[in-house]
Amino acid sequence: MNDLALRAINLTKRYGRFTALDDLCLEVPAGEVFGFLGPNGAGKSTTIRLLLGQVRPTAGRAWVFDSDAADAARAHRSLAYVPADVALWPQLTGAEILRLLACTGPGVDLAYRDELVQRFALDTSRPARAYSTGNRQKVALVAAFATRAPLLVLDEPTSGLDPLMEREFRIAVAEARDRGQTVFLSSHQLAEVEAVCDRVAILRAGRLVEIATIEQLRGLHRAEVTVSYVGAPPPGLELVPGVDTVEQVSPGRLRFSLIGPPAPALRALAAAEVTALAIREPNLEEIFLDYYGAAKSTR
Amino acid sequence: MSTRTVASAIGLSVPADPGRAVTRLAVRQLRRSGLIVLALVASMPALVASTYTSVMADPAAAGSIATLAANPAIRTLFGEPIALDQAGGFTVWRVGTFLAVLLAAWAILATTRITRGEEDAGRWDVLLAGRATLREVVVRHLAAIVIVPVATGVAVAVVLLLAGTDPAGAAVHGAGIGVLGLFFVAVAGLAAQVFPARAAATGTAVAVLGTALLTRMIGDGLTGLGWLRWLSPFGLLALSEPYARNRVLPLLILLAAAVLLAGATIAAAGRRDVRGGLAGVAGGRRPRLLLLSGVGAFAVRRMLRPLTGWALGIGAYYLLIGFTTVSVTELLTDNPALAEEAARAGFTALGAVEGFAATLFALLALPVGGFTTVRVSAFVAAENSRHLTLLTAQPVTRIRLLAAEIAATAGGAMALVSIAGLAVWAGITATGGDLTWLAALGGAWNTLPVVLLSLGAATLAAGWAPRAAALAGSLPATGGFLLLVIADSAGAPAWLRELSPFAHLEPVPLTAVDWTSTLIMITLGVAMGVAGVLGYRRRDLQG
Repeated sequence: MNDLALRAINLTKRYGRFTALDDLCLEVPAGEVFGFLGPNGAGKSTTIRLLLGQVRPTAGRAWVFDSDAADAARAHRSLAYVPADVALWPQLTGAEILRLLACTGPGVDLAYRDELVQRFALDTSRPARAYSTGNRQKVALVAAFATRAPLLVLDEPTSGLDPLMEREFRIAVAEARDRGQTVFLSSHQLAEVEAVCDRVAILRAGRLVEIATIEQLRGLHRAEVTVSYVGAPPPGLELVPGVDTVEQVSPGRLRFSLIGPPAPALRALAAAEVTALAIREPNLEEIFLDYYGAAKSTR
Repeated sequence: MSTRTVASAIGLSVPADPGRAVTRLAVRQLRRSGLIVLALVASMPALVASTYTSVMADPAAAGSIATLAANPAIRTLFGEPIALDQAGGFTVWRVGTFLAVLLAAWAILATTRITRGEEDAGRWDVLLAGRATLREVVVRHLAAIVIVPVATGVAVAVVLLLAGTDPAGAAVHGAGIGVLGLFFVAVAGLAAQVFPARAAATGTAVAVLGTALLTRMIGDGLTGLGWLRWLSPFGLLALSEPYARNRVLPLLILLAAAVLLAGATIAAAGRRDVRGGLAGVAGGRRPRLLLLSGVGAFAVRRMLRPLTGWALGIGAYYLLIGFTTVSVTELLTDNPALAEEAARAGFTALGAVEGFAATLFALLALPVGGFTTVRVSAFVAAENSRHLTLLTAQPVTRIRLLAAEIAATAGGAMALVSIAGLAVWAGITATGGDLTWLAALGGAWNTLPVVLLSLGAATLAAGWAPRAAALAGSLPATGGFLLLVIADSAGAPAWLRELSPFAHLEPVPLTAVDWTSTLIMITLGVAMGVAGVLGYRRRDLQG
């Protein structure tokens, strides 16, 4: 089997004159938990529908392991999917839907499925018509996690779940990772992505703007540095590359933002009598808002 | 008042009447199909009436009419023939019931679609979070639907007047058609309040329609049970006797029933939950795991319940036809003049059991073609409502997904056609007639190519223009039938008539199957189906 779980080359989708996804190139190695971020309408769901072969690319190609994404019967033998807005056949009960998906799916671990039903506290005797949004999502999650498919494609899977169930979700993702399954997770819950993902991609207006590990992203983004000192302030701090918005918080206290390696800034600080130094790394939300803010200003 | 002052002061736009927006929304969802139904129902009587060439003009007519009217079987199947000596009366008898059923069916489907269907899909949640109440939204939607039967009734009356028929008869018939439409809007409206699902609401209302039709047929056929017609909307329509006695009382009763049902609908809408019905949703139940083992089995499972409904309706109708066959054919054999008149009215070769059965078997393509169209449309609807999404993410090709649906539908159609054949055979045999069950099945199966054309056209649309699936599917059977009737009534050129698949159906079992036409139709149907599957394979899924 290929060591890439997902691969997209120049993947493009246009609807008339509107470009939903523009020239996406993406590789997700097998075994990775991959986060897929972007503001509403950035093209996340379009990407996933292209990867699933539900919509056809205007240009480019995508592969799921060794299979062309367009060859659904083959490609889907190695994936399981949870859609963003789960719609179930209203007349079937949860148990019946799980049975249907097990019979038509890529193979299922029945014992693990029963365990997941317990853990997600899902009442499978009720018809889908009577399920809330969260319960419908649970049915799809249980069905997907119970498969032994090497790739799980999850499109905003926790948007309707309560915090307790979200914790179960994170545990299930960790278990999938431990089994060697690849997880492709599109989400707006940045704390969740930060907690479970190895790498993330950020999409904006149909274009991939960043793809990196969360550590790398932090390195690329402004950390907030606060310095306390006695005597004269560190000279020429504004001129140090990577340092921005130097601000005198109070007498003997400076705050500035820093992008990139901190060594030049530390050398500049060495000229002053520094009494305390705090570097706060940005969280994913700040990184995301950075991109999103940029998106708004360039539009 | 103070709200508006404050709102305008801070620049908010607060429309004075949010209800109008709701009405506009309802009208938008109806205008296309509503106009089609209006045009169809108004133009058919115009055609028949304007081409009426004194079918009953010869001196023997009076006697023939009496004989015809006295035969219970004729009355059962075609309604009581009255005032056939006038263009208006003849038109009512020839197409009145058909058009009433067409309008009633539209009223039911449109009502449940834009009320319960929209609510079921969750689109009313946002609407009802505004200032409009559930009751107001329901009332405004029903009011919008009601425009169509009212306009249709007026159009029918005007058209018959313009054709030069008796004004009183035209008014009574137009009013009857309109009020019948209102009645079924109210029936469907109430069903949509009682049941929390569109399918159940539609099914119940259609069952009311079928029962009403059967009640009228029995009431017409059996003199002792004539009072039954007072209980059926179609019976009341017949009792108004347009162009004969022009009675208003039956129509007032029908109108009163419609108003009563509409009142119940509004009351129910005021006291039920949004997305709920008067009948509650079942809580938990034991899983029924049969027919979930694959996409093919699941397609069969989803079809079984609707198939049962269609089988009951079609089976009952054809059983009734079987029961009446012997009586009608004996009547026509004994009255050659009458048989000739029947032939001029468009019913040829009714004098033999085989001929009579064949004529009515040809009609079978209408409901069964409708069944295939409804199934393919339901498949497209499942795609739109994303019910299919999880299945399309399974290791199943799209071809297999659609092929499973087509195969199940074709099997269902085969079952329906066979049930009709066997029902006719059972009816004829029980009344002492002579028709082998193989001949009956042959006659029923002879209509399968037309059904296949419907299935093929619906599939073709599902692959290339999914929104048009219902329209495309109804073209070969319903459209072809209307084309033939119109072409025959208006004396249209032969090539126009030949476009209808029904022009190529031999009256089996009276004569042998026309294999050339049959094979051409089968090839066309299969070709459209294959093209549709190929289109479905490459297009983007919706939803």
